[in-house]
Amino acid sequence: MAALALAVGVVLADSSIVVLALPDIYRELNTSVSGVTWVLVSFNLVMALAAVPAALIARRVGPGRAAAVGLAVFAGAGLACGLADSLSTLIVARCIQALGGAAAVTAALELLPATVGSEQRATTIWAAAGATGAALGPALGGILTELVSWQSIFLLQVPVALAAAVPILAVAKHEAATGIVSTELRRTGRPHIWANLALAMVSAAIAAALFLLVLLLIEGWRLSPIEAALVVTAMPLAAVLGGRLAALVSDARPRAAAGAILVSGGLAGLAFLPKATIALTIPPQILVGIGLALVLSALTETALGGRAPQAIHGGWTISARHAGVVIGLLLLTPIFTHEIDQQRHDAINAGTAVILDSPVNPLLKLGLAEKVSERLEEEKGKVPTIGPAFEPLPDDPGERAEVKQLQGELQDQLDRGATHAFSTSFILAALLGLIALFPIALSKEVEL
Amino acid sequence: MSPSQGDLTRNRGFLLVAASIVVSLILVGAYLAAGGSSYTPEKIQDPCKPRPWSNPQSLSEIANQFTVSALDGAACKLGVSREALTRALATPEARERFKKKYGIDDAKLAQAIRAGLVRAIDDAEEAGALSPLIAAPLRETVQRIPLSQAIEFINDAESFLGNVNSFLGPAQNLLEEFLP
Repeated sequence: MAALALAVGVVLADSSIVVLALPDIYRELNTSVSGVTWVLVSFNLVMALAAVPAALIARRVGPGRAAAVGLAVFAGAGLACGLADSLSTLIVARCIQALGGAAAVTAALELLPATVGSEQRATTIWAAAGATGAALGPALGGILTELVSWQSIFLLQVPVALAAAVPILAVAKHEAATGIVSTELRRTGRPHIWANLALAMVSAAIAAALFLLVLLLIEGWRLSPIEAALVVTAMPLAAVLGGRLAALVSDARPRAAAGAILVSGGLAGLAFLPKATIALTIPPQILVGIGLALVLSALTETALGGRAPQAIHGGWTISARHAGVVIGLLLLTPIFTHEIDQQRHDAINAGTAVILDSPVNPLLKLGLAEKVSERLEEEKGKVPTIGPAFEPLPDDPGERAEVKQLQGELQDQLDRGATHAFSTSFILAALLGLIALFPIALSKEVEL
Repeated sequence: MSPSQGDLTRNRGFLLVAASIVVSLILVGAYLAAGGSSYTPEKIQDPCKPRPWSNPQSLSEIANQFTVSALDGAACKLGVSREALTRALATPEARERFKKKYGIDDAKLAQAIRAGLVRAIDDAEEAGALSPLIAAPLRETVQRIPLSQAIEFINDAESFLGNVNSFLGPAQNLLEEFLP
């Protein structure tokens, strides 16, 4: 059971684990914000497309074999990701990783009931392993990126995936020796449309929350990946609390509705941050974390409840979740890249106004305006770091104090611009979460 | 499930949804009340609108206001922001990019900067920082200077005004003696 849960966790963590590494990949592979988004999009898109076919294949060839081969492919492609020296190589390797991952995750759902004794328990373990992996992914990725490198995220997945594959090999060998495919080929029922639709919308909102928050922290507020990882740990910690809360309410529909409302509330909070301060991101993250634990488990249970075969319907939930992530990223990336550019422009103008209106010696301030202008050219398309423009500080103590104050005021304008650049995207993500309430309301039949 | 268990489940579900709505509204309301909707870069001022001088005392303070007024005047003439023009005047490369972006040639830029210097002289005179006896010939002079010198006057207004003072100051004293 541990190997299967590990397999599900490591694959679904891969959907979000690179989020904190994106700024490093962006710089190292010399690409654009839109380009680097495809490191995430490609994996999630292939997962969305391959999950159901992979589940069908798993039922044909045997889930043990499908899971073992899937994990081996996932590990091999992870190695290729770690060694990739260009964005295109990385994206191709990510696609292959997703193919292997889809096979492993859906096959795991088919194998779990035999291991844990019941379909209900298998569903709970499967959903919990996936949610834990997805929630912990960004923090783990951030720590590895800072302590080692972004490549280490993928290289570390190789032994983990292989370790999960070893016990599953025994099942695969048994299937090969006996020719018995453990699951009977029952007729596949229709997927739960409303639950899967709601899952897609909520996943889009959650993906946006993680992706946008990480970009805001690293690119906007200039935190290191490890600092950003610590900050976003608030979300999985709150998700643990959300899991306990979920246990108190057995009806899946109110749990899903409450979860979607909390995710939207948290996202709206992030859209209206009154200051560029880490502490202010914590309450919205707590809401998103509790919300995601409530809504993901409730909708997955609803989508799988009473439906057979589990692997196929599990495939549909994987497909819906990853399609949602893709929709969220593709919908919001152009909006916030445009907003970053606009806000950067506004912040620079406001900063220049601050310099011009300051009491600093005119020669000195025009020199500063020149240096700030140079920094802008050097860091085109990014939120600029203006510290170097103020160096060396003047020798005169009075002028030095004035220049330092000026630097603070200019930085404040940049922080305002960087923070505001994400507002529209956070609001849209919050709306996606609220729209999910419609399919949740329509999924009257709670089949647990 | 017995009827009472069903009620309990329904109540818990209702409470969970209600609590989620309340908590979300409190968070968003608190952030909005703390200024969340106005945490944006400050809006820059229209350069064509007058910018009052704040009673400058020293030559450095006068030069400071003079620079700002000149940039405002030139930016207004060109129809761009004062801030964009400031960055454009920082380096020859920045100036070329600016000219290309806004379709401005050297003649138009020179004309605008001269207009800016005239506005700065007007503002200085109005604020009592420049005597009318100095302002008048100065106004005539800046309207004839080449572009490079006009930019230099803006970039180093303190030297410019210092020189004006040392050259025209004695002349003003003489004029004041002879004028009624």
